Amino acid sequence: MIAFAASITRPDVYAACAEPGIRLAAEPGATVLGLPAVGSIARSYNALLERAARLDDLEALVLVHQDAEIVSAELCSTIRATLADPDVGLIGCAGAIGVRSIAWWDGSVTLSSFINRYPEHGGGDLHAFSWDWGDAPPYARTGEVETLDGFVLVCSPWVVHNVRFDEELGSFHGYDLDFCLQVREAGRKVVTADFRAIHHRPLEMLPDPEEWIDAHVRVAEKWHGRMPGIGHADGTWRERALRAEAERDAARAAAHSTDLDTEARTAMLEHAIAETRDSISWRITAPLRLFRRVAPAERPRIRAR
Amino acid sequence: MIAFACAVQEPEAYERYAGPGIERAKEPGSALHILAATSSVCRSLNLLLDQAAGADDLEALVLVAENAEIADPGFCAEVRRALADPDVAVVGAIGATGVEGLAWWDGAVNGGRVVHRYEEYGGGDLPAYAWARAGAPPAEVDTVAGFLLVLSPWAARSLRFDEGLSTGEGFDLDLCLRARQAGRKVVTADLAVVHHRSLELVEEKDGWIEAHIQLAEKWDGRLPGAPPRPADWQQRARRAEAERDAAQTEVFSSYSRREAQLTPLERQLSAMTGAPGWRLTAPLRRLNALRRARGGPRPSR
Repeated sequence: MIAFAASITRPDVYAACAEPGIRLAAEPGATVLGLPAVGSIARSYNALLERAARLDDLEALVLVHQDAEIVSAELCSTIRATLADPDVGLIGCAGAIGVRSIAWWDGSVTLSSFINRYPEHGGGDLHAFSWDWGDAPPYARTGEVETLDGFVLVCSPWVVHNVRFDEELGSFHGYDLDFCLQVREAGRKVVTADFRAIHHRPLEMLPDPEEWIDAHVRVAEKWHGRMPGIGHADGTWRERALRAEAERDAARAAAHSTDLDTEARTAMLEHAIAETRDSISWRITAPLRLFRRVAPAERPRIRAR
Repeated sequence: MIAFACAVQEPEAYERYAGPGIERAKEPGSALHILAATSSVCRSLNLLLDQAAGADDLEALVLVAENAEIADPGFCAEVRRALADPDVAVVGAIGATGVEGLAWWDGAVNGGRVVHRYEEYGGGDLPAYAWARAGAPPAEVDTVAGFLLVLSPWAARSLRFDEGLSTGEGFDLDLCLRARQAGRKVVTADLAVVHHRSLELVEEKDGWIEAHIQLAEKWDGRLPGAPPRPADWQQRARRAEAERDAAQTEVFSSYSRREAQLTPLERQLSAMTGAPGWRLTAPLRRLNALRRARGGPRPSR
């Protein structure tokens, strides 16, 4: 039996996002553990792992963020096919190699099969690169990775029984990378598979940068020397510090530039819209648009006159 | 006498921006020093200082970047007001306190009528460094932006730009820090300036990063706004690498915000210009454009 679990801090979000996805993907008789969060995500997920570990017929446990909506109805068969390799410990739909920190997206991302559905500006979708295989770049592929995005994590029974999230890392950030590293350190594989999900979240990736920075440091310190690449950079510590401070300020400048670019393009588009609306062409064709706005069922009547 | 100086790399930019601004601002008797830029911004500016500093009647030397346009006919009066305090060595139109490094705009920015005029997307104006504005002139600051630097006679005669700064980036911050180190003040004044530049804040990233490192090496621990940092280099590196990754992630967020903000507007414009009525009246618009191009009368509305 493939079980599903979520840690819930906002029941309304769970009901709107995770629950419909679980209903879509779960097989009849599947256990669904939707439990109120107990402190950090690591602690909450460990509580779910403990519960799942007591299930006799467990084939896999799917840990879903409350704001993540699985949209692949065939998820269970994908999981079974992937877990046919007994070395596989974790499965996800977004992951990367060449990862050096909890900013795993700075590595080489190999699969990213999700949509970021945001509420800002009236709402919209940002499609990650392998959401649609027809548009996917040549480097998109499923298979072994170094880490997964934790918003949907599928755990093998071995992982459920043997690995736990590190509750010392902080309240949220970095728990997924750390968990993947533990699984890989134990000799198991972390892989991506072909399923998709919608992540219902705001556009801001780091609403709490200080917490994120603390978690970044903790994970780097914990894994440096234990796992290749993690916390690594060339140079002495002094050289690394000065370069990173420079690169930090360059990145901040780039973010400012992007915001300026947005402001300039917005002004251009608003000007073009206003100019179009004020034009003679637009005004003299207003009756035509009014006609087109009339419901199709009413059009014949109008034409009959 | 208030003198004006500019090192010119692109004569066209000087003709369009710095030149007209200087014409607008200078007084009868103002000296004007124009030189071809050398390969180093600091060397070019030092040449200008060498030329200008010897004038006995020098009240101030205004170093204008070729892409900066003084927009204020009352410029000289404002300069004299700022230099009435004999401790003032450097005056600028915009600057900052709490400066931690080359990215002075990450401090608390103090500036007045400074406009960032860009050419992208049909062109437009933005208040310069609006996201970081924390106050208006006059104010004492750590540094001022180098596109317009007003130097007191003492500064023009005593200070020189550091030609050891390999890329020239940070020449302004370095000079201001040395003025302050000598016990003098760096201040902003209410000077109206248009800075003609692209939307890109850092245009040559690799060189800028090297300059940031070089400046940090030179001033390490003595930058006025530098927060307390771990004495241990490993801790400092870990922290900086985390802050860098957070900043790079913020870049991703800013791209997402841009897409989210622009998509509805692009859709709206596309729907308007794709409507049958709009397409139907295309010949009318073409005709009007032709009339405008020939200077003919615009159709009455």
